[in-house]
Amino acid sequence: MLKTVNLQKKYTTDEVETTALVNVNLQVRQGEFVAIMGPSGCGKSTLLNIIGLLDNPTSGEFYFLDKEISKFSERQRANLRKEHLGFVFQSFNLIDELTVYENVELPLIYLKVGNAERKQRVEQVLEQMQIAHRRNHFPQQLSGGQQQRVAIARAVVSKPKLLLADEPTGNLDSAHGQEVMQLLSSLNEQGTTIVMVTHSPTDADYAHRIVNLFDGQIISENVKELAIL
Amino acid sequence: MFKNYFLVAVRTLRRNLGYTMLNVIGLALGITCSLLLYLVIRHELSYDTFHSKADRIYRINVDKLTANGPETNAGTPFPMLATIKASLPELSPATHLYNTEGGTFTVLSNNDKVPAKKFREEKNVLFVEPAFFDLFDFPTGSVNARQALKDVNTVLLTQSIADRYFPGENPVGKVLRMDNVVNLKVTGVIPDAPENTDLPYLMLIDYESSKKINTFMNDSWNSTNSNQQVYFAMSPGSSLKQAEDRLNQITSKYRRISPGEKERYIFQPLLQMHFDDEYGTLSSRTISKTTLWALGLIGMFLVLVASINFVNLATAQALRRSKEVGMRKVLGASKPQLMTQFLCETGLITLVALLLSVVFAELLLPFLNQLLELQISFSILHDPQMLLFLLAVLVAVTFFAGFYPALVISGFQPISALKSKVATARVAGLSLRRTLVVVQFTICQVLIICTIIVHNQMEYFRSASLGFDKEAIVNIPVPAGKAGDLMALRPQLESHSAVKATSFAIAPPSANIDMNSSFQYDDFSVDRNFSVNLKLADENYLKTFSIPLLAGRMYEKSDTMQEFVVNETFLQKVGVKDPQEAIGKKLLVNGGQNEGKIVGVVKDYHLSSLRNEIPPVVMSTMTQVYFYLNAKIEQKNAKAALAHLQNVWLTAYPDDVFHYEFFDDSIARFYEEEQRQAHLFKVFSFIAIVIGCLGLYGLVSFMVAQRTKEVGVRKVLGASSASIVGLFSADFVKLVLIAFVIAGPISYYFMDKWLQDFSYRINIGYWVFLAAGALTLLIALTTVSVQALRAAFSNPVRALKTE
Repeated sequence: MLKTVNLQKKYTTDEVETTALVNVNLQVRQGEFVAIMGPSGCGKSTLLNIIGLLDNPTSGEFYFLDKEISKFSERQRANLRKEHLGFVFQSFNLIDELTVYENVELPLIYLKVGNAERKQRVEQVLEQMQIAHRRNHFPQQLSGGQQQRVAIARAVVSKPKLLLADEPTGNLDSAHGQEVMQLLSSLNEQGTTIVMVTHSPTDADYAHRIVNLFDGQIISENVKELAIL
Repeated sequence: MFKNYFLVAVRTLRRNLGYTMLNVIGLALGITCSLLLYLVIRHELSYDTFHSKADRIYRINVDKLTANGPETNAGTPFPMLATIKASLPELSPATHLYNTEGGTFTVLSNNDKVPAKKFREEKNVLFVEPAFFDLFDFPTGSVNARQALKDVNTVLLTQSIADRYFPGENPVGKVLRMDNVVNLKVTGVIPDAPENTDLPYLMLIDYESSKKINTFMNDSWNSTNSNQQVYFAMSPGSSLKQAEDRLNQITSKYRRISPGEKERYIFQPLLQMHFDDEYGTLSSRTISKTTLWALGLIGMFLVLVASINFVNLATAQALRRSKEVGMRKVLGASKPQLMTQFLCETGLITLVALLLSVVFAELLLPFLNQLLELQISFSILHDPQMLLFLLAVLVAVTFFAGFYPALVISGFQPISALKSKVATARVAGLSLRRTLVVVQFTICQVLIICTIIVHNQMEYFRSASLGFDKEAIVNIPVPAGKAGDLMALRPQLESHSAVKATSFAIAPPSANIDMNSSFQYDDFSVDRNFSVNLKLADENYLKTFSIPLLAGRMYEKSDTMQEFVVNETFLQKVGVKDPQEAIGKKLLVNGGQNEGKIVGVVKDYHLSSLRNEIPPVVMSTMTQVYFYLNAKIEQKNAKAALAHLQNVWLTAYPDDVFHYEFFDDSIARFYEEEQRQAHLFKVFSFIAIVIGCLGLYGLVSFMVAQRTKEVGVRKVLGASSASIVGLFSADFVKLVLIAFVIAGPISYYFMDKWLQDFSYRINIGYWVFLAAGALTLLIALTTVSVQALRAAFSNPVRALKTE
């Protein structure tokens, strides 16, 4: 599904050059559930942003669906994003001015999905995430767990090939956190590839493979015994 | 997609109600002004455009070069029209008309000719030929106007005059007596003259009848009157220049001109009359194209100032929208899609402002009409031109105000936007926004400076010493040539205790009536190359108007010219330094017809508006041409005095209508146009300042938001609230100063030019600029402080936590 070759990311300000990623070689196969772990500032989020086509690497190659895309323009990346990628963030990032239903509908609008199909798909995913009864509420009227379920619904409504989650349980209590992880896990079982950044070993346990990052480098990978590779 | 944009827009605007209100009100104010100014400009540009031949109709004016300098007017000698018809067939149709400045109308009953009701009209009584209707397309309703005025002694009444003179009756066939001289038969009632014509009329009378009213006019080539005008249409394809040359060749054969003088008849396009105050119009309303441009610019500036607010406020708001923008980008929104979204939002705000401004304009139009003495109306739905204008404003404001913020917001990097870490420098576009604020301040200051200067000049007009007393004096017209009838009753006139003094004269000291004459002074041997203004008045004139004598005495009572009194300017012009020296010198005026001795010298007084210099004046007596009774009355008993004067006046002239005007009112009318401009300036600069303040308020709130953390850190480190306010204010003080440096010279240039029109004018003092600068600074600092204080008093811990 995706492969990075000697991926580097440097941030340059006037005087200081910060290296966020050093020669990262990572491969994620279709259907995998990968967790990226490591201390704060190790480059986890930078890696996720590059994988999520929100950022460009400084050097190295990045293959997504067998295409080398590290030099893609913003417009090309935006197109890939809306067709193939779903995002879940720690802070949910729901649009406050839109209702639950409208938030989930938004990716389909950008994909220019027809009215009837849109309605059907949104309803379906809301049912799936067990949030349909809140469809006309605004984000602030929901609990954190509910908000994250909406965010996941929004991330998967476009049936992305790859779901990226940046500390999805970071803002939730443990009960809601577990609920969210179970949702992600079941999505993965239904075929969605997932890459997740996390601090939490409990969350990482849901993954097939754990990639440990330290100072911008992959220092180890643990493959779980039960992994279906 | 658009439904989504719309939903988000409405909800966002509703949530940030304060921001929305600032924007909407600011924009609505700006658009309202531009809308009103558009209506005014459109009205002024529409004068006489409704005639089908409008673009090829001309008026014949004359440019003269006399010993006293250039003179221009629109008067033509009576035989001019016949000459045109005989020799210049390409000037067709051609017609002449006579405009009388007033008249007394008596409604006679049809059978016994007993006077029933009397009316006095001050203007717009027009004498026209049937050909008038071949040239112009005034509305005549169902009346065949050509036919209705083909006989002598006929009159067409406008509807409003018909309603006033003959309420509830059909006036057709009834008789109207004008000035107790001529009986006119009403042959029809036509609609009122359109508001937008320079040939306004209350009634149209057959041209032949004018000869009985205008007895000064004769058939000679050498008698002209600016109310006797010729209009014609130029046949398509013929040369205007050639026709003009030929006309001048012909007229030069007939006209007697003094050696050294020159004159040329020129053709003035009908459509330019309204913008040229040199020749004037019968409506006595003209407006220069420059003034129209200035009004248009002010309208644009007000929208500009409001749009600048919008840009500043929207970029301020952008920080709060960054999360939404980030998420939309993550979901695959492209930059053009986001720009469209934000432009739609701007469009929505503009649309709301636009609708609001239509309501505002509707409410304010009556006041504007009153201010400008116009009757403009608009009904938006039946006015495609207006709808087009509004659409243009909508599109222009949306793009001008919305483009930059949309560009900035849609350019956010998704990751940083999501983390609300949008580089503040990027959003700030600091130099651009500072420039915008400087533009705003500059516009405000220019308007303030102009307002102060125009106001001061107006005050100067009001308070300047004119050299005579104008308080509590009434000017009462007397029928032409009949002043003697009332003069005989003078003891009666002055018998009332509230009547202090009376004087009969050709006109009050300052009036638009001039009588010029050549003259010879002293030994009659020197030919002077200037003429004098003859001020004919009785022996009480100086006393009534409190005009001081410098030497000698006032002339004695007389019905004809016997003795003379001259003014200071006269002495200067003939080279006499000591007024005493002139006493007893001989003077010959009026083409050598009148000779007499100078018995007194008066201090200079103004003969017309302060636009003009004081001319050399020779005063003398001549009962025949006294058109006014001027009475000095007791202010607190004015009512009784007027009633008394009316009684005596009616004893002398039982068939006429008594009317009067207070002298200070008639002087104020010299400056009507300037007064109107002064009002406009005041209103619009006030609005510009209000809009500017709204924007400034928004801008500072942006800066405060942007520097929350900085303020927090400073406070933790021990900064005082005052120093925080100073931190924000310092920036604006700089901007005001830059604007001041730009605004000063611009406004000086324009106001200096404006003041050049007046021979007597104020000096533009440096204090005007200082005051305007200080005022702007004060307004700016007050606005800034409101927000800055909020930042200064905020809890630093909260400020730091938001990071």
